[in-house]
Amino acid sequence: MITELETWGIFLSPMIASPIALLAGRKSRNASGIIASASIGLSLVLSYLVYLKVSSGSQIESQYTWFYNINYGIFVDHLAIVMLLMVTFVSLMIHLFALYYMGGDPNRHAYFAETALFTSGMLGLVESSNLLEFFMFWELVGLCSYLLIGFWFFKPNAVSAAKKAFIVTRVGDLLFLIGLAVIYTSLSPIASDPLSISFIVNNAAQLPSLIGQYNLTIISLLFLGGAIGKSSQFPLHVWIPDAMEGPTTVSALIHAATMVTAGIYLVARVYPLFYEAYPISLYAVLFIGSFTALFAGTIGIVVNDIKRILAYSTISQLGYMLAALGLGSMFGSDVISYSMYHLVVHAFFKALLFMSAGAILLALMDLRDVRQMGGLWRRMPYTVTLLFIGSITLAAVPFTSAYFSKDTIIGLSYTFYQSSGTLLMAIPWIFLQLGALATVLYTFRMFFLVALGKPRSHLASEAKDPKKIVLIPLGILAALSLVYGIFQGSFYSFVISGASVPAIPDMTEMLSIAFLVIGVIVTYVLYAGDRFTKINAEKVPGYKMLTNKYYLDKLFTNALAQGAILPLSSAFAGMESSYNEGVERFGGSFLKAGKVLRRLQSGVVENYFLLIIISAALVFILLEIVGGV
Amino acid sequence: MIIEYIFAFLVAASIITFFIGSHSRQFARVSSLAVAVAFILYSVYRFYPGYNGGDISSFSLTLSTYTGFYFSLGVNGFTDLLVVLGSIIVLAALFISDRKDDPVYYGLVLLTEVGTFGLLMSTDLFFFYVFWEVVLVPVYFLIGIYGGPRKDSVSLKFFVYTHIGSVFILLSIFTLYSYYYSEYGILTMQNSDLLSTTFFSTIPFFYRVFILSGFLIGFLVKLPTFPIHSWLPDSYQEAPYPVTVILAGALSVMGGYGLFGILYPLYPQIPAFFLWLLIALGIISLIYFSLTAMFQSNLKRMMAYASAGSMGFVSIAFGSGILGTGPNGIIDLAGGMFQIFAHGLIVAFLFSLLYYMKTHAGHDTFYGLGGIYRESPVLATLFLGGLLASLGLPGLAGFVAEFSIIAGSYGILGPLVFLVIFSMIITASYHIWAAQKALYGPYNENLGQIRDLSRSEASAMLLMLISILVIGVFPRIVFPLLTGYLGGIA
Repeated sequence: MITELETWGIFLSPMIASPIALLAGRKSRNASGIIASASIGLSLVLSYLVYLKVSSGSQIESQYTWFYNINYGIFVDHLAIVMLLMVTFVSLMIHLFALYYMGGDPNRHAYFAETALFTSGMLGLVESSNLLEFFMFWELVGLCSYLLIGFWFFKPNAVSAAKKAFIVTRVGDLLFLIGLAVIYTSLSPIASDPLSISFIVNNAAQLPSLIGQYNLTIISLLFLGGAIGKSSQFPLHVWIPDAMEGPTTVSALIHAATMVTAGIYLVARVYPLFYEAYPISLYAVLFIGSFTALFAGTIGIVVNDIKRILAYSTISQLGYMLAALGLGSMFGSDVISYSMYHLVVHAFFKALLFMSAGAILLALMDLRDVRQMGGLWRRMPYTVTLLFIGSITLAAVPFTSAYFSKDTIIGLSYTFYQSSGTLLMAIPWIFLQLGALATVLYTFRMFFLVALGKPRSHLASEAKDPKKIVLIPLGILAALSLVYGIFQGSFYSFVISGASVPAIPDMTEMLSIAFLVIGVIVTYVLYAGDRFTKINAEKVPGYKMLTNKYYLDKLFTNALAQGAILPLSSAFAGMESSYNEGVERFGGSFLKAGKVLRRLQSGVVENYFLLIIISAALVFILLEIVGGV
Repeated sequence: MIIEYIFAFLVAASIITFFIGSHSRQFARVSSLAVAVAFILYSVYRFYPGYNGGDISSFSLTLSTYTGFYFSLGVNGFTDLLVVLGSIIVLAALFISDRKDDPVYYGLVLLTEVGTFGLLMSTDLFFFYVFWEVVLVPVYFLIGIYGGPRKDSVSLKFFVYTHIGSVFILLSIFTLYSYYYSEYGILTMQNSDLLSTTFFSTIPFFYRVFILSGFLIGFLVKLPTFPIHSWLPDSYQEAPYPVTVILAGALSVMGGYGLFGILYPLYPQIPAFFLWLLIALGIISLIYFSLTAMFQSNLKRMMAYASAGSMGFVSIAFGSGILGTGPNGIIDLAGGMFQIFAHGLIVAFLFSLLYYMKTHAGHDTFYGLGGIYRESPVLATLFLGGLLASLGLPGLAGFVAEFSIIAGSYGILGPLVFLVIFSMIITASYHIWAAQKALYGPYNENLGQIRDLSRSEASAMLLMLISILVIGVFPRIVFPLLTGYLGGIA
């Protein structure tokens, strides 16, 4: 019972704190940040207590009737507790940094209320016992993302980016919703709660006989659609780079560490649906993930906005996580632990990267173009060192934590190809391996442009470190990014009992190191000084395609929205108004007829009399003809 | 035996309002508040401790034994919910009515409430029809006297259009009446007699189709459904805001009640092609209205189309729920009824807020508005809440209905569900687009200074939003009433 209360408390604490922070903010703006942070600190403590219970025992589950035959409740197993710890911890670090970062904003009470609500939604999502409950929190975090991207409501870009994020993720969400409908329809005759997550997790083997493999495939592909929208995978990734218009702490919290991993978590959470479906489901996961990993990485190489570089990096890293899950047809559910490990590691170093970028942007008055920075390592030594630690982790330099998490995934994809024996299955490995090269390139390009060389703008030459105390959360994350690799084996076996560290093939190991060396040398030569300014990028083949992001944004906004939906809408509106006119004309003709008939009402009694006679005669004649009388 | 007293009180109040000039507003507000509170208390008292279907608290007054006309009242889980909804909507409409000392206006509003409650509570088809017509008259005058620049033609259009729909209902009722007489030799207008499947199955097939079509036309006009919706956008736009609230809340309730309250008891006898027709019209309405709404530049007209579009879910639910089997069918039908309820609450909320936007900012078009969040954050935030509720965001009332309908109808619709989803994407798009254009972005300096909501206005609106939220998060408050009602018929 106590355990249950603690588990509920994990997400209820920030949920209750959110309106309190908003109301308290009317009196004192600073109080709201402290309230929000404290509530998340409480969640962290509660998560740890639940972790102690879960790690010794088994799952925590409780369910209550929500409506009709749908329940709500909590379900925490090893997979969920890992997410709970990660989300509460990273969210707390970001909240603490936001106390400084958002310290000057006049509406910061609204900011903290929204981020607390977001955290609560994320935690609720993780410990949901029911897929509909999961979906509700899924949309709650989406709503918070919308509100926080548009937090600076007076910026047209921010509002437009918020709209884009909402609509694009909505497409994925509604696919997810159909998936829920299919699973509900299939299970409602046999299960007391058709949408129970624990039912799916604990009855994995019976699923094909209960639901049917065909339906399982449809369900898993629709769920994948939801995951693609939320975790911004190809082709629904277009919203994340724009989402960088929000405050940087929002990008760190929502669009790097937590919310965008919800899609990955969804696939991991209902993994039996994918695993028991036709193989096409897992192949779709694998190919989409690995393609996105490379695809987004290549765009990241040419982007100049520091936050957008990190955004494309996030998309690419999420691709690795998704691709890892796609390898399950060979490695079984162990892949969940590989994916989750990269997810947690990524949360640490990406939150670190965004927050150190945020500290830089605050010093540079939100000048986000990396070409105008330069030489910041000397001027902001602490911040840029933190950025450096984040960067080497992102680039998977040996013995940082991402080296363990990411190279495991690449290695497994190679093993997967070798064991499957078909050349087609080499594609994911090639994508992931080249993605690693792209990662090194965009990471060090960004880092060298920011840190080395001479300042290329006035703002950059006057930048200063913030107070050291505000960098403490970043320091903690940096330490974790560096040393978290030592927990690799225990992490794997904690998430999925029996999972162990797989052997990494020498082939991928050596390629990764070679790519790292090549990447660092190339970027150092080009970007450490100002040599890059002498290259005419326009002439480099493929550059134009990359800067246009493979024309996908144009396809969505120009072709689909402006070229198809708007004309369709205009056609319907035109149809509606002419139909309306037609109806009115039809009605009007009756009014005109009424005017004609009105002339009969002459008021002359003789005419009426005549009319009566004629009518009566007609009636009699009619009756004669019918022959009724 | 309580509802007839409440109803009598309401009738009396509406008559008295016409005759007390200076205090009519206050009187109307207080009496509608009393009615709403009484009904809510009554429903908690009667329906909370387990409801298993059937009519509760029947009251019957014999008017003429020869013709079989009884004046009888009763409520079941479904109608009780709609009556509560109706009382809330009228209360909201009266709350935002700023017309001082106009007894005719307030009397007409209360008369609309009388008509709506009467048709919902009558367990006799004759009085059902009488009250159905009673609603039209005050609404006609409300638009015709207090409406916008095109009020004359629009009110006429409204009256003629919906009246033609009603005539079909009358035809159906009298066909039922005469067949019942020829079958059993008894003249009766009781719902329980005329709407029983055993009797209905004795009617020749052609006349069964005739009766069902008559009812359908009458109900679908009110719902409204494409292609018999033309009265709606103009009436919504020309009516003064409080009347729009009543139109959107109460009139769509009439159509929905017609489907689920009058037609549903006959469900085993409704031919499948009728149900498929309803599903098709529902899907077409969803797509047609959402795409049309997207192109509107007037927020009131846009929301009118949005409101019409979301009623498409109701006809889909009705069609597919009857075709469906087991729990899927039940959650589908219950979702349809839930949608009537949720939609009523949400549109009443949205149009009330639009009223404030119009009076405070002076505009309800996108050209006139822009960035008003800066000057009136409370109004803008509440309006965003209304938009999110209207687009079916989980956690708000509309989502429960939409989920139930989609989940329940998937077995029937199959891939057609993607059309529904398409319309939901369009709906989400234009709602969010509207928020972007009206509420956020740079402030439209032409507006000058805008007054934000006052404390009492804000708390009333917040109360409505909270009730939408509470029902969305705890749908169990109303769901058992609906499943109980369905269980009582099956």
